[in-house]
Amino acid sequence: MKRTAAVALSLTLLTACGATTSSSTDKLNVVTTTEILADLAQQVGGDRVEASSLVPPGGDPHSYEPTPKDAKRVAKADVTFTNHLLLEPQSLIKTIDANAAKDAPNVSLAEAAESYGANVIPLVENIGLDVLWLGLRVRGAGKQRGATRTSSVQLAATKLDGPGQLVAYLTESLGQPDKYFDSTDGLDKSDSTTLPPAAHTHLNWAFTKPGVYRLTLTGALDNNDGKLQPLGQGTFTFAVGVEPHTVKPASSGPATVLDDGHTDLTVDLDSGQVYAYSDARKVGAPQTQVPAGNVVIDVPNKALVPIPDDQRFSFLGKPGTQIHQLPQAVLGKHVHGEIDPHLWEDVANAKAYAQLMRDTLSTADPDGKQTYEANTKAYLAKLDDLDNYVRTTLATIPPARRQLVTTHDAFGYLASAYEMTVAGFVVPNPAQEPSVEQVRKLSDTIRNLRVPAVFTEPNLAQRASVLIQVARDQGVQVCSLYGDSFDDHARTYVDMMRHNADELKRCLGDHR
Amino acid sequence: MKLLAALLLAVAPLAPAAEPVVISNGHVDLGPRFADGRWTVQLRDDTTDPETWRDLDAVVVQANGKAKIAVPNDPAYQFLGKPGQSVWVIPQVQQDGIVWPGWNTQDREVATRVDREVTWSLEGVQGPGTFTLFLNSDFGKPHEVFDSRKPFPQQTGVDVNTHVHGNWTFDTQGAYLLDVAMTAKLTDGTTVTDRRTLRIYAGDGDVRTAFATPAPAAAQSDGSGLEVWWFVVGAVVLVLATTGTVVVRKRR
Repeated sequence: MKRTAAVALSLTLLTACGATTSSSTDKLNVVTTTEILADLAQQVGGDRVEASSLVPPGGDPHSYEPTPKDAKRVAKADVTFTNHLLLEPQSLIKTIDANAAKDAPNVSLAEAAESYGANVIPLVENIGLDVLWLGLRVRGAGKQRGATRTSSVQLAATKLDGPGQLVAYLTESLGQPDKYFDSTDGLDKSDSTTLPPAAHTHLNWAFTKPGVYRLTLTGALDNNDGKLQPLGQGTFTFAVGVEPHTVKPASSGPATVLDDGHTDLTVDLDSGQVYAYSDARKVGAPQTQVPAGNVVIDVPNKALVPIPDDQRFSFLGKPGTQIHQLPQAVLGKHVHGEIDPHLWEDVANAKAYAQLMRDTLSTADPDGKQTYEANTKAYLAKLDDLDNYVRTTLATIPPARRQLVTTHDAFGYLASAYEMTVAGFVVPNPAQEPSVEQVRKLSDTIRNLRVPAVFTEPNLAQRASVLIQVARDQGVQVCSLYGDSFDDHARTYVDMMRHNADELKRCLGDHR
Repeated sequence: MKLLAALLLAVAPLAPAAEPVVISNGHVDLGPRFADGRWTVQLRDDTTDPETWRDLDAVVVQANGKAKIAVPNDPAYQFLGKPGQSVWVIPQVQQDGIVWPGWNTQDREVATRVDREVTWSLEGVQGPGTFTLFLNSDFGKPHEVFDSRKPFPQQTGVDVNTHVHGNWTFDTQGAYLLDVAMTAKLTDGTTVTDRRTLRIYAGDGDVRTAFATPAPAAAQSDGSGLEVWWFVVGAVVLVLATTGTVVVRKRR
């Protein structure tokens, strides 16, 4: 380490007097971490720039270890671009920060691109928590029914249809479970709970088998006069491990799929109705009410968890058995302060990168400003076409088949920008080994969703073996998507994204 | 990245303190809001109708005798103390007769102006015993947020437009002064931060001692992202940080 630093220091001194002419040519020398970034910089820089990446073709930026030679290249660079945000390992970022010449711009694109309009997604730490947060609620004052502050409302589970059992329970402060509804011993009087008016509570919703469940909830008002006044009832539908858009709701009307945010299954003391009451996803918009019969609640495969080896939870089944469970609390879903680094999988973000690169190159090389502006303008038009191509291509895939099962968690932006679903992946970060649990969960996901294909990344052959094996076991097609790097077939960002769109259509599209 | 181009200080004094209150039942939330246009950590009190946003200096949250329980004989809860030992636990789930404090980032202006998340940091705790805040995660396993025995500052992120509850624990009766700060980047690129003292009393003793106890010197340690302006502005901010709002503009 020390020697590297010494070399870097001397090089910094040597180049300090001629930063813009430090490379062997008279071109501006731009060094990036990945090939994708080098391509973007080359498109913006054109003939005035020579852009190259530290991570070699086909290399994995997540696990790349920098060499002393890399330190020298960084020291000679007029401009360096990193993606940052946990894409590259800390050692690579350190190599750049320690060796970049003082007067050479050193830009972390993902961080700075936000001010150029990039859309960023918080990094999900625990995908099991990245699901709907579901509770129970009583709304309304019920004055015309004679309700007072001391009244209470009984909510009972009166009917359940489905391939397995449902247990809705709350884990109290010291880990003690409190069952609200439990169908394992049939539904009777004990499968009810009492809430005061205007109260709500969060629960764990555990399902023992994948499939479609229908749960009927019935409300009754207790005014402390010895009799229960019946309120309404409603039947909610749960799509457990299966694609929710293929599931019909309990009534014949249109379906509303609830798959994120906060929703309470609600009984209304005024109207007597039973409905799903959801917080608006848009700030300031009113909460929404959807009648029970129109609701389909998504309990996705990322909600698969093994039953713990703990006597208190034996009512859920044998320890180690996988169940689908919507958790009672979803805090801790995101890593504090971190965002998903794979911004370029949304073409709009690549446009933000290009504009940031344009301004950075213009600062380092003011004489080239006009060239960079012209190049960028032309490139942005190309990226608009690309964005349109990806969007229209993916729009031809039936919504229920837009499932991404990949080697690592690199396609959150693709999913969010082009209306795909991240159904699962082998590991969040390819530098990790998958656990037995992760492989099992992946297997269940592919089986439950009956996905037509899974996707490996050309540069992640090692991680691909697990996915290929699981796919073979289940007779599922194996296709490829570019995540973090190019290969011989795709040498530019535009090629890579066009391939991704075409491949998704080829493998997931409906060809019957 | 932490270069500083301009620094704006809001120097107007806060509105006159309201009548101090003690809240020992019902729902309250700690959270930031733009009070008279200034980013301020306050307590939303839902025991009144409509709700009241209270200045932290004018309120004590009390964990009364109903919150007193014995530490279970479960290794996962050893951090609360020895099995059987008394501890005051304000539960994550509402329990009748016990105050129900949560935290939220749902003030309309906060929810629209904050970029992604608010950083909530605990800068210090002054009190007779240990304070912890934890959540019940998968199958009840405790997920720690804060623990007063650990080094400060301690940080957690709160996604914008969310509302969360946790378990607040105190192992000795008395007044606890929590030195808390909430910081956020706004969508216009500026950063806002505010630091206050949240007063909690554990037990059925003389709650008003929580008002009498002087607030800790809230400015003795600063957040890691703030060294630059801290150095530049020095003593002026040391005084204002406890009572005012500081807006730091970042240069692009």
